[in-house]
Amino acid sequence: MSLGLFGTMSMATRALQVQQQAIEITGQNMSNMTNPAYARQRVIVATSPTIPTTIGVEGTGAEAVAIQQIRDSLLDHQITLETSTTSYLGTAQTTLQNLEANLGQVVDTSSSSTTSSASAVGLGTYISNLFNAFQTLSTDPTSLANRQALTLDASSLATEFNQLSSGVSNLQDSINSGLQSDVTNANQLLNDIADLNNSISVTELTTHSTANDLRDQRQAKIEELSKLANVSTATQPDGSLTLSIGGVTMVSGNQVSDTLEVHANSAGQDLVQAKTAGTTLTTGGSIQARIDVRDGELKSLADDLNTLASTLITTVNAVHKTGYSLSGTTNAPFFDGTDASTIGVNSALLDDPSLIQASGTKGAAGDNQVALALAQLADTPQSALNNMTFNQSYSQTVANMGQALANTNDQVNNQQAIQNMLTQQRQSVSGVSIDEEVSNLSVFQRAYEANARMISIIDELLTTLVGLGTGVP
Amino acid sequence: MFPDMLTQELGMLSQKLQQLQTESATGQRVRQPEDDPGAVQQVLNMQSESSKLQQYQSNISVLQGTATAAGSAVSALQEIATRLSDIATSAGGTVSQQDLDAYATEVSQLISEAVSTANTQYNGNYLFGGTLSSHAPFVATTDPNGQITSVAYQGNTSTTSAEIAQGVTLSIVSPGANPSGTGPAGLITDTRTGADFFAHMISLRDHLLSGDVQSITNADLPALQADEQNQILYSTNINVAQGRLSTASTAAQTQQSSLTQLISNDADADLAQTITSLSQAQYAYQAALQSGAAIMKQSLLDYM
Repeated sequence: MSLGLFGTMSMATRALQVQQQAIEITGQNMSNMTNPAYARQRVIVATSPTIPTTIGVEGTGAEAVAIQQIRDSLLDHQITLETSTTSYLGTAQTTLQNLEANLGQVVDTSSSSTTSSASAVGLGTYISNLFNAFQTLSTDPTSLANRQALTLDASSLATEFNQLSSGVSNLQDSINSGLQSDVTNANQLLNDIADLNNSISVTELTTHSTANDLRDQRQAKIEELSKLANVSTATQPDGSLTLSIGGVTMVSGNQVSDTLEVHANSAGQDLVQAKTAGTTLTTGGSIQARIDVRDGELKSLADDLNTLASTLITTVNAVHKTGYSLSGTTNAPFFDGTDASTIGVNSALLDDPSLIQASGTKGAAGDNQVALALAQLADTPQSALNNMTFNQSYSQTVANMGQALANTNDQVNNQQAIQNMLTQQRQSVSGVSIDEEVSNLSVFQRAYEANARMISIIDELLTTLVGLGTGVP
Repeated sequence: MFPDMLTQELGMLSQKLQQLQTESATGQRVRQPEDDPGAVQQVLNMQSESSKLQQYQSNISVLQGTATAAGSAVSALQEIATRLSDIATSAGGTVSQQDLDAYATEVSQLISEAVSTANTQYNGNYLFGGTLSSHAPFVATTDPNGQITSVAYQGNTSTTSAEIAQGVTLSIVSPGANPSGTGPAGLITDTRTGADFFAHMISLRDHLLSGDVQSITNADLPALQADEQNQILYSTNINVAQGRLSTASTAAQTQQSSLTQLISNDADADLAQTITSLSQAQYAYQAALQSGAAIMKQSLLDYM
């Protein structure tokens, strides 16, 4: 017993189908060549069951048994982790760059003119201008021109403090709104993943095969989510994935068991917590980056500015109050306000600069002791500023912020190299190579032609067979 | 896969290009705090030092103006004092009452002139009133004939000083009168040197009018000589102060130059180095573009 002509015909027909399917999969690969989430697929062809014949077992051709996805789950896992870190560092870098831009301090060696407020660059210059104005006042305390110049320089300094402070505060608000939008996106992705879990388990159950494209989509969603927060996943036997963030299970099967929520703590800072479980999470990813920069470098810059402003206010006022104005008045403050956002020059002095209390002796207009003492504050180390002078403290603040950003820049570069390496590895495993697909295409094409030829040969044989005895050639 | 790699490499090269371009355009290696935080901190501190040095020079220039004005006034007084000594000497010789009267008139005029000189103002401030610089320090009382009978000092004995270097202050002008016996030298009156210029001048004039030549020779002449000595001392103080100002100004300028050099060392780019690196980066970028384009064009499809 052998296959017979009809059996061979059906074998060749099935072979055509196999080659056709292989070509379809090649077409699928080529169509998805530019899809970064796609892992290339191939048809698994196996021999179909044998039949026993008198001379031994004979094969009955080939059949396509599965469509397999070439994917390395270990690489996927590593990439998910590294994506979180890359996103954390990237978001931290962007936020710190915004902070640096806000501070607006650049080094400019071309402008060496430092006489007055004309070309001030950064808060340090304004501080220098204030103390220089005190110096000029000390050389001629009765001069109204000197007094007016002083009020102008002092106002410019106060305004600069106010602007820096409000810039930092605006940045904080924008970080918080970025945080909120990250959390919203994350929750949306959790929903999507749960849906995909559902689709995958249903599809795999009903078709008894792997749902390749749905899995690709789910992996893409997971990597999207890992940019926002560190996720850990565990595959389940039914094809679904359990996903947790910060140790709290978020997605289990087709259910979203918990979501993320922005919640203010007792100090008024917005943090992220698991909504149902109620625990505050350390999430990693861009969410954590926003929180860390906001409560770290941004807060420390804001605190430094406020300390600088409040120390300036208290020390200047303490000296100024002891002085006498041109009309003999005393005990007035020089600065109003308590910190960087509220600092301002006493409006009475702005309206009437003769009320600036430069003299150390009542009635002696030419006395400059208080003006001199105010000027010498520039060189006095302040205990509230870690025993640095005002300018030194400001330079330190700038350097601290610059160092944080410089470190982050280095880390971003290193991390980017790692990320690139892993991505390339994945591409080499799962990516579509046009050369490979095209050469496969020609192989399948030739196989198709060969099997078609087989069919026409069998057809001729059948015609001969059927025509036996009829006299028709 | 290859296109992704190419994109990444081109990205890195173009970033490097941009950085070098900015460096060569600004001439600075360090511009933002992230470029080199340590250098930025040092540069900011040095710039604030430089600003202070500039201010010291400005202070010095104001003080120099004051010193010059005071010096001229004191010179004028010295001329008057010399003339008075001559008159007193001449009066001691054989002269008539008429001559003495003529001298007396001249002395009267000199007294008025001296009072006016002692009330010199500079930049709207009276120079010789101590820190009471808003009103005239010397006030003359006249009799019904218009003759000055006494001159009172309405200033005080305090001085002001200004910074000419860090922690170093200098005062330029001493008060017009110091009868207390301690403190700064007085220009007109100083009990330590026995100077009391106006009183002595008035005394001379009165003696001339009354023909008391004896008193002129025995009392007025030595008194006026004491006044002259006092004025010389006062003038010397001003010269010394001017010398100190000049030294301080030179020191500040020198320090500023070194600071500018130090700032440049920290912040400026080595232009030759930067431009060489820029050329190299441009070549690398061009090579990457050309080779990338050539490789990307090839595929199996070309040969089928």
